[in-house]
Amino acid sequence: MTQELRARAERLRQEVRDFYAHVMPADLRDKSHRHQVLSKEDYVRWMRLLDQQGWSVAHWPAEYGGKGWSPLERFAFEDELARLGCPWVIPFGVKYVGPVIYAFGSEAQKQRFLPGIKTTEEFWAQGYSEPGAGSDLAGLRTTALREGDHYVVNGQKVWTTYAQWADWLFCLVRTDRDDKPQSGISFLLIDMNSPGVKVVPIRTMDGYAHVNEVWLEDVKVPAENLIGEEGKGWTYAKFLLKNERTAGAIVGWAWHVLDRLKKHARETRVDGAALIEQPLLRNRIGEYELRFLALELAAYQAVAAMADGSENGGEASLIKIRGTELYQEVMETLVESLGAAGVAFDGEALHRAGLPPLGPDDTGGILKDHFYNRAATIFGGSSEIQRNIVAKAVLGL
Amino acid sequence: MSTDLETIAMLRDSAARYAEDNYSFHQRWSVLEQPSGYSPQAWSDFAEFGFLALRLPEEEGGLDGDAVAVGAIMEIVGARLLMEPLLASAVVGTGLLLRQGSAEQKATLLPALADGSLVLALADEDAPGQACVFDGRHLTGGKLGVLHGDVAGKLLVSARDTAGETVVVLVDAEAPGVSRKAYRLVDGRGAALIAFEGVQAECLQPESGHSAAESLAAIRDEATVALCAESLGIVRNLVTITTEYLKVRKQFGRTIGSNQALQHRMVDCFMLQEEIRALVAAAQQALAGPAEERTRIVSGARAYIAHAARKVCNEAIQMHGGLGVTDELDVSHYFRRLMVNAALFGSRDAHFARFTDATLAVASPH
Repeated sequence: MTQELRARAERLRQEVRDFYAHVMPADLRDKSHRHQVLSKEDYVRWMRLLDQQGWSVAHWPAEYGGKGWSPLERFAFEDELARLGCPWVIPFGVKYVGPVIYAFGSEAQKQRFLPGIKTTEEFWAQGYSEPGAGSDLAGLRTTALREGDHYVVNGQKVWTTYAQWADWLFCLVRTDRDDKPQSGISFLLIDMNSPGVKVVPIRTMDGYAHVNEVWLEDVKVPAENLIGEEGKGWTYAKFLLKNERTAGAIVGWAWHVLDRLKKHARETRVDGAALIEQPLLRNRIGEYELRFLALELAAYQAVAAMADGSENGGEASLIKIRGTELYQEVMETLVESLGAAGVAFDGEALHRAGLPPLGPDDTGGILKDHFYNRAATIFGGSSEIQRNIVAKAVLGL
Repeated sequence: MSTDLETIAMLRDSAARYAEDNYSFHQRWSVLEQPSGYSPQAWSDFAEFGFLALRLPEEEGGLDGDAVAVGAIMEIVGARLLMEPLLASAVVGTGLLLRQGSAEQKATLLPALADGSLVLALADEDAPGQACVFDGRHLTGGKLGVLHGDVAGKLLVSARDTAGETVVVLVDAEAPGVSRKAYRLVDGRGAALIAFEGVQAECLQPESGHSAAESLAAIRDEATVALCAESLGIVRNLVTITTEYLKVRKQFGRTIGSNQALQHRMVDCFMLQEEIRALVAAAQQALAGPAEERTRIVSGARAYIAHAARKVCNEAIQMHGGLGVTDELDVSHYFRRLMVNAALFGSRDAHFARFTDATLAVASPH
């Protein structure tokens, strides 16, 4: 990795910190500091703020409105936001479907969709998983049958994040039932306002509904909303998954929660001594710090390999596995160290930006994240699938 | 100082090629039978290739090699389990002399170090109740676990002077009053317990610069980073060997590598290898950086790698089944080398404590 690239990434980190300190509206900063649940309006505001900084699609090529960021800059950007505890950069438009559209879409599709993705004028969701097709995505059964100038879609998607807010769903559908599993799949863009689309929220253990079931019943989708060629959806999906699995914010999340744990352990006194002076907790924090050091360095090594094209194919999986496992464990320790406050959860107050009944005022956010992050080792390719990938792609097993 | 990439690639290639041709696992058996615990032939070959002058400044005919250059050689040392005193003499002994020796001391000793005629070992850990004392002319005390102390021609010994200050003194290993009790380490390399009774010694005294305590701290860190690179070489080979074994060993009519339980464990080993690789590079860089960060990263790398390398080796043994514990399989020799390395230049726990203290001493940047 060249010095110049490194310097650019460092400058970008500084810009992100300045943005957080001076540009981000106080109410949003306060909510994000407390890790509260954000509304659609908050998220849209957030994504537009990023766009105004020129960051929302900076990783896209210049001809589509991006800046052609290197993998290192993109990593530094997401990592720094996560370290600051900012809301996440909702990836469905800018990170997932946007690149699929500019890489495989028609000229008309690019003009129709890319500007709205960049500015979050339109909100996107991802229609991949189905009740019978999670890790084994090729087992999906939602069908799209061609009838004249449109497709008729029938089936059910599940775990669809923010489907309740989405204007559009990018969806994997089966256009040919007789082919072998992967080759019968196509990539379709579905207007969520179409008749026959029904969104059913799924309440998760944090008391909130981030994810949904999406039922599709005789939904008519214009044929012009097919991306690329019929039957090539699997290729586009793999391209998208590769983007999904880039290092992203995981390292920053782990850093943030470890930092929060240290702050809590320094500020909390039990029997006259700071928690951080208790040998067992101090030892655990030391072990987390050590694992974080290995994770952070491995992430930089991976991003450098992505930048110079020397990947072994296991980099993103390694970071996802190690990062999410560390994130979960540190969070668990943080919650335990909150004692009584760590089980006093007022989910309703959290949504309305109220204060928790006990503990520091970000307690609710900590608990929300603790519940939510149990899914971190499941979504985006479970830890087991990641290990399968490395075993096959890197070790040849 | 930073060695250019071309020189490093050249070092790596020549060491790898030499080991490939002359130091296969089978050729190594005869080295293990040598009374010295290493191959004098290989040692003089290393001198010829310039490996022993790796650390020397260019004006002394050396390569002025930095930690990355040293690491390139140490990875081969680990991968091939070389037995020669490269770490003890060419890295640690030479490095300490370069930092702490006077111009005259360097002029006398460096040529002999470069041509291999002198093996210089560091005796650092006091024997219980025998702290080494230097009265200005004579050294008294005892040292433990001196790596290659059995074959060293001269010794660098850490001691206290009469004012209680740390000094490093140079002793002829054959001088009157030196008694050495030689023994073998579990990996076959030689070591010694050494007692000094009023032995004539000279202090290493640089014309300017670091105190002896600073130089010792720096050289311990340098040695630690070199050991990390050696462990990387070991782990890389273990991962390769074991992955290959999973592909050929059949039980119940199929390769054992087709079992997901073993695939996932092998992936965990691979991930450890990748983390070790990243940590080694960071530790090499940190050696040239500011003191606190040097301490944190070097000890952190060492603490992580000590566990990670042992974990990979334990898994390699387990996956090789009964073969894994036999003397005739290289896996068991890697195991023994890692055991020895774990006992050199500070334990895992000591490095972990040092890492934790350094890390928690720093306030959060945000």
